[in-house]
Parts: sequence; structure tokens; C-alpha cells
Amino acid sequence: MKTNKQNLPDKNGFYGDFGGKFVPETLMYALEQLETTYTKLKDNNEFKEKFYSDLSEFVGRPSPLYFAERLTKHYGTGSIWLKREDLNHTGAHKINNTIGQILLAKYMGKKRIIAETGAGQHGVATAAVAARLGLECHIYMGSEDVERQSLNVYRIKLLGAHVHAVNSGSATLKDALNEALRDWVTNVDNTYYIIGSVTGPHPYPMIVRDFNSVVGEELISQSKELFSAMPDAIVACVGGGSNAMGAFYPFISMNETRLIGVEAGGEGVETGEHAAPLNDGIPGVLHGALSYLMQDEKGQVKETKSVSAGLDYPGVGPEHSWLKDSGRAEYVAVSDDEALRAFHEVSELEGIIPALETAHAFAYLDILMKEYDSSANIIVNLSGRGDKDINTVAEIDGIKL
Amino acid sequence: MNRLTETLANLKQQNKKALVAYLVAGDPDIETTIDLMHLFVEAGVDAIEIGVPFTDPIAEGPVIQRAHDRALKNNISLKDIYSMVEIFRNKDSSTPLILMGYLNTFMFHKKIIEENKNSAIDSILVVDIPGELNLNDYGIKSSSINTISLISPTTKQDRIESIAKNSSGFVYYVTLRGVTGASNLDSNEISNNVNEIKKHASVPTLAGFGIKSASDASLLSKHSDGIIIGSSIVQMIEQNSVTKEFDRIREYITEIKQAIS
Ligand SMILES: Cc1ncc(COP(=O)(O)O)c(C=O)c1O
Repeated sequence: MKTNKQNLPDKNGFYGDFGGKFVPETLMYALEQLETTYTKLKDNNEFKEKFYSDLSEFVGRPSPLYFAERLTKHYGTGSIWLKREDLNHTGAHKINNTIGQILLAKYMGKKRIIAETGAGQHGVATAAVAARLGLECHIYMGSEDVERQSLNVYRIKLLGAHVHAVNSGSATLKDALNEALRDWVTNVDNTYYIIGSVTGPHPYPMIVRDFNSVVGEELISQSKELFSAMPDAIVACVGGGSNAMGAFYPFISMNETRLIGVEAGGEGVETGEHAAPLNDGIPGVLHGALSYLMQDEKGQVKETKSVSAGLDYPGVGPEHSWLKDSGRAEYVAVSDDEALRAFHEVSELEGIIPALETAHAFAYLDILMKEYDSSANIIVNLSGRGDKDINTVAEIDGIKL
Repeated sequence: MNRLTETLANLKQQNKKALVAYLVAGDPDIETTIDLMHLFVEAGVDAIEIGVPFTDPIAEGPVIQRAHDRALKNNISLKDIYSMVEIFRNKDSSTPLILMGYLNTFMFHKKIIEENKNSAIDSILVVDIPGELNLNDYGIKSSSINTISLISPTTKQDRIESIAKNSSGFVYYVTLRGVTGASNLDSNEISNNVNEIKKHASVPTLAGFGIKSASDASLLSKHSDGIIIGSSIVQMIEQNSVTKEFDRIREYITEIKQAIS
């Protein structure tokens, strides 16, 4: 297996067959500029120091690797450890990459920041770092998501950013990305686009991965310290795939650790009503990258279905497509119902309300833990906290708040 | 010879500017699209650009997005478009036809494009690939189809040269930073960039995006070998999609044609 992580992406931005730069010509120069800037800064000591000190002082890193005692007892097999990204400032892993990207924006002299958001976590994280630097900030969000993540919409506004509801298409994350790209094409000279996952044209999947890899790097040292071994498996939910990629990346060359991504199965993968392109998609081009994609029999992008706004996306980051085809990572899916069950279970057993996205990773433990005995160490990447999902879950449970 | 190459060469010889008009296939329905294509030609259009509807047209402004949505409601696929073109060709075997769309659709329908029955389509413009590349680079091989590449105001000098050399139908100069239908034309910038392109391109350079009025058309045609009009026509199609009375479009095209003559 070709798993030398130093090699990818190649100079054209490809991970094997996947990735690339498929954007209107107007954006080509902006992508080149971004790549040049990033290449120059990423090994620069001053830049790295600033990045890590912001992560420590503004985000509160490192996040703990926490032993989930009652969840472990519940399954009665291996030890379950939680990587507590929910404890980050603003409540999810998204802040890690926005801290890095806003430094790039600042270095490039961009005065205006744009971003798309699904669950609103990336919108909140972007608004927070933009506020900190006093930069004008615009967040695009599908109107359906504006509705189901209203708490985060208000947080974004409190942080001084503008929220633009997007009504086109399915009015979810994919359409928010379309609109953000249109904004970028129009305002490319003064605007930095902070993409929120390991998606989009090269160099974004690489940049977002690298910044969020702080998670996987911490996992290596925390695993050594807490159980003197590398984990047997890391489980993470996959929407665009940034929380998973950040946790997986430093482990790619360590074949003893299984890497398991959990997609949104919606009503069930077999029904076609889901958001699981790695389980039930074919390669195609969306938002600048070639990757697994949910398409219909005419080559149109299919509308997705998931209870979780952050996973409700028909595409996936290109490096995940490569990890799937190379066999280095496994990708499974769990349904809305299974995720909701796990949401309640983790809240009651651990005193932690996970994000609905993260609940998908927890739900897969039902199957995974059967494969292990008590000597195993399993890490769940707890990508974010569930405060934002309270309204959605209450409504499903028939409770008026 | 490819109809597009031939038509543009003839116009050049006569010292005339080319007029290319855009519509979306299946907006509001396939029959109307065919009628409109014939109307375009009667009114003086030299080549037709057929928009291939896609769910996520990231380079389009609201007007053309809505046209894509209307066409998608009719479930139009690239296969339907090739059938539509076959019907159009029964009456018109000479007008160059260009497909404009997004890479995902073309990759998905590779076979239909490679076959290009009776060489009905002359050219393909893929909005979302780098200008140096063409369909060949994505495994789609067809000798009867030429590639139109885009150059924009943000394209750097060194790339202008390689893109211009890669373009085989014409070079499409995107006149502004923005999506289709925007309106922030900068005539100085346009003339400088088109002059630069012309130094390197062996094919004509046409200008498009953001051309609305007869005066825009007149101005841009002075700097280029021709112009492409999209959103303003698509808007008129939208406004009359129920009555299907398209005289206004005929008048508009006539007016634009005069402005560039
Ligand atoms: C808490 C949380 N986890 C996961 C995701 C999914 O994104 P990704 O797959 O890029 O990690 C989101 C996205 O909004 C999120 O808020």
C-alpha cells in the first residue's frame, strides 16, 4: 500500500485519482496565491509559534483524551477514549483550522472573510476568529439549516458577522458552498474564503487537514501517556471529513491503528435517502474537487438527507476517497435513528451531550465494540458539543421548549 | 471543417464581429428551446451556446441559475440535449453549436460526447476546468469537437499564453470578476487583456459575461472578435416562458447585431 503521507497531494493537488482544482478560471490565480503563501509559511517558525499559541490561548488546546468509564462498561469490551474537541472554544473542531486560515488571510492582506456553514459550527468559528482581527465577515448558510441551527445563527450574528440565507437548490450545505464560491469569484481581490472542511479545490483539502492534524498529533502523545500504545481504532464522523482527517492523518503510516469514518445513513443507505457518498456514491466533480459524490442516473448531484446539518452533504473530501480506495481507512454509515439513540445514550452515560454529527460516530460503537476484547483501546473523536442540536432533538422527541 | 472554426474565419475575412447567444437547454421546455434556437439564427446570431443544466452551477448568477432549475424540473439530461440537437439539425445544418456546462456532466456522459452523432456539436466549453486543460485530459476523446478555454481578468500573464494556445474554437474572455449576469465592466482592463490574448492566440477572442445593453456590446466588440450574450436573453425567456411570445428577443438580438456591425 502506498501510504507515505508525505507524498500527498501531488503537485496538481491529487490524492491518487481524487482531488484537483476544478473551478472557474477567475479563481485559479487566487488558489495559486493561497498555495504559494501556505507553502512559504507552513514551516516558518514564527508562523507555527503564532498558530500553536493561538490554539492554546484562544481555543484552549490541547483537548483532553478522556476515559469514558460508563460507556466502556456499557459495552463490556475494550476501553473507550474520547478526544474532547467539544471542549474547544466555540464548541467543535472547526476552530482549529479557522485559527490557521485567518492567519493566512491576515498575511495575504485580505480584508474580507467569507465562509459556508452547515451545522453553523464552522460559521461560529469563522466569525469568532474574524472578530478577533476586526475583519468583515460573511457566512453563507442554507435556509433549511438557518432554521434547524437557529442558535448558531444568532451566535454568528452576536460575533458581528453577516448571515446570508441561501434558498437555491436543496437550501443546505452544498448550496451554501455554491453561493460562497460565487461571492469569491466576484470579490476575489479583497476576500479570503475560509472553507470549513477538507473539501473544495486544492490547496484547501491539504490546508484544512494540516491545521486540524493538531488533533491526531495530540492523540499520538496522549495515547502513549495514557495507555502506552497506539489505539486499535479511531472512529470519527464524516461530513466533508475535516474532523476525521485531522484525527486520521498522523496515523496513516501506522497500520496497527484502524481508521473508521462514519457517514450519515439518513433513512438507511439502502433507501437512497442519506448523505453517505463513500458508501453509496460514484466519483464525480463538485465544488472544485473530484471525489465520491452522490449522483442520480443523469449525472446530477442528488439531494441528501440527514438529521445532522453538518453531515448533510453529497460530497466528501478527496483524501477520504483515496483512503477508501487504497483500503487504509474504512467507511461505514449509521442511520438517523441510530445516531439519535447514541445521542441520548452518551448524554446519560457520560454527562456529555454530543453534537448530532458526533453521535453518528458513537452509534457505530454498537457494531465495533463486538469485535474487540478488553485489551483494546478505541478512540472516538468527539468532534463537537450538542447544544446547537437541542431544538432539533426536542422536536423529534415531541417536546416543546 | 468544424462549423465554428469556419464561421469565425469567414466573419474575420469579412471584417465582421461574431455574435454568440446563450440559452439553457430545456428552459422552459425542449420544443421551445428548439424554436428559440431557430429564432436566434433568423435574428442574426452566428453561433449558439447551449447551457447544459446542472444542479450546482457555481459560475452562474441568479438569472441563469433559475433557468438551470427550470430545465432540471423537466429532467433534462445531456442525452436529451443530443436528441434535441438532432431535431434542430434537420432544419439547420450550418449554425455552430457549443455546449457550455460543468465537468461532472461531461464526465458522466463521456460516451455520448465521444460519439457526437453526425458531428452535430461543434465545441464544448467546460466552465470549471483550468484553461490549460481540455476534455482530452479527462479521458474524453473526440476529434470532431473543439475546446473553448476561458481567460479572466485575474489570469496571470504566463498562463494567458498557455491557455490561448490550448484553445481551439475561440478564446472566451470573461469580462469581469463575477458570475454570469453581473455588471461591473471595466473597458480599460478588457482592452488590455484582450490585446495580450491576441498576441498568443491563433483563434479569435470573444468577450462575454455582463454584456447587457447595445452600448456594452458596441464597446466590447471594438476590443474583441465578437461577443457572447447570456443573462439578458435568458431573462427574456423567463419573462415570456408562459406566453412563449419571443418577439422581444428577436428585436433585442437585431439591436445588438446592429451595435456590433
Ligand atoms: C461537531 C461537528 N462534527 C462534524 C462535522 C462535520 O464536518 P467534518 O466532516 O468536516 O468534520 C461538523 C460540521 O458542521 C460539526 O459541527
